[in-house]
Amino acid sequence: MVGGFRVIHLVRPFLAFLPEVQSPERKIPFREKVIYTVISLFIFLVCSQLPLYGIHSTTGADPFYWMRVILASSRGTVMELGITPIVTSGMVMQLLAGSKIIEIDNNVREDRALLNGAQKLLGILIAVGQAVAYVLSGMYGSVGELGVGNAILIIVQLCFAAIIVLCLDELLQKGYGLGSGISLFIATNICESIIWKAFSPTTINSGRGAQFEGAVIALFHLLITRTDKVRALREAFFRQNLPNVTNLHATVLIFLIVIYFQGFRVVLPVRSKNARGQRGSYPIKLFYTSNMPIILQSALVSNIYFISQILYRKFGGNFLVNLIGTWKESEYSGQSIPVGGIAYYITAPSSLAEMATHPFHALFYLVFMLAACALFSKTWIEVSGSSAKDVARQLREQQMVMPGHRDSNLQKELNRYIPTAAAFGGLCIGALTVLADLMGAIGSGTGILLAVTIIYQYFETFEKEKASELGFFGL
Amino acid sequence: MDAIDSVVDPLRDFAKDSIRLVKRCHKPDRKEFTKVAVRTAIGFVVMGFVGFFVKLIFIPINNIIVGAT
Repeated sequence: MVGGFRVIHLVRPFLAFLPEVQSPERKIPFREKVIYTVISLFIFLVCSQLPLYGIHSTTGADPFYWMRVILASSRGTVMELGITPIVTSGMVMQLLAGSKIIEIDNNVREDRALLNGAQKLLGILIAVGQAVAYVLSGMYGSVGELGVGNAILIIVQLCFAAIIVLCLDELLQKGYGLGSGISLFIATNICESIIWKAFSPTTINSGRGAQFEGAVIALFHLLITRTDKVRALREAFFRQNLPNVTNLHATVLIFLIVIYFQGFRVVLPVRSKNARGQRGSYPIKLFYTSNMPIILQSALVSNIYFISQILYRKFGGNFLVNLIGTWKESEYSGQSIPVGGIAYYITAPSSLAEMATHPFHALFYLVFMLAACALFSKTWIEVSGSSAKDVARQLREQQMVMPGHRDSNLQKELNRYIPTAAAFGGLCIGALTVLADLMGAIGSGTGILLAVTIIYQYFETFEKEKASELGFFGL
Repeated sequence: MDAIDSVVDPLRDFAKDSIRLVKRCHKPDRKEFTKVAVRTAIGFVVMGFVGFFVKLIFIPINNIIVGAT
């Protein structure tokens, strides 16, 4: 290695070509931030509804069905890639920097710029790769049917949308808006999905004639149109294969439980070293890594599903392939569902009844879920720079000390809480997800946890912004 | 027994640490919980309905667009 040369410098030649949002030259007032955030959200939502031009069909089994909830992706639309490129590149860069494969000195302005550039470049490359893979895999009809022109057109549309998402997220992160675009898009996608399942006016034909998809709409419709009210009520509450009122209740219950646990925290007293000696506190939440364990766990499972389905489709009889997972078409949704192998055992049992009839599957799934979330959570604090050592360094840089503890003991004290909070918090997240899925909550346990934790964070951001705004005027 | 101990001991330590952590935790009281729950519910509903109405509006628009191609 040449002295001073670092891997990150490879990005330098590309910086000029990457789209970039300029940092704001002045402090953006709170109201303007809200406006920017809302506009970004609308752009995202509209893209999620715009159909792709040139596609032949989207009727085949959707291999990404399992992923869409956490990736804010919509089938057959311009936003097919969702936030995958940006999330993937963010995680990859975080892992590389956190594990020191890439050397980054966050105190050097150029390094930060290069890191951002690298992340953006990687996001664009991932978008291109993913778009090409989608087209070649026949997601929109075979390439022969599409024609080369349409295929290229589809790829361009997908990449363009991915770049828009990249820019929207950067816009919000640079201080024009509140929080991060990724979180905003995920949360909105999930909330929309849940509200849609509750109030959807679309009708679906079943054995008893047309029924509304939305649980609440169906409830009122059944009560009004059926002569047998008791039976209508029971159907509204317990109907199969469509959202029902019991699902809604389960969703609300999980919502409340998550909010309650969000409030758990260990409050460590800290004091400033400087002349005024002002006091404060450093809270360590039970959900220390927030929703990150569930994102990572879902990403892992989704990738196993994806790989397993592809292998099964091509080499269905092979022993190893069957060990990873065997699949069959579901009668109801048209999706492939795992019926054997590892993919099956890491899938949530569909009901309590199924748990009783397949106890090993239930037990395996439970242990896998809890262990994966706990381990991901504990690992994440190391790679994301929020371990006890990192926090201790931050507090020292801010001239903060804990009363009754010497400087050198700060890290040790933090070490008593942070790793345990991360691991146990991850475990609780996993348990809540399992509970939500078993109760049949709308939107899946993963989705609800993500949405609630993201909205919670938004309100925390909201309050900080308002506080600093008032403080600004107060000067 | 060594093999079992090497698995059980860390788990026991982890359980003890977790219990200590939970006891040490400040837990939200009713007032705090209600405040956060209401706010989060509002955020949830606002976000959800924004997405819901965009989707609702685009269904007829998409029918026109797709029908035309």
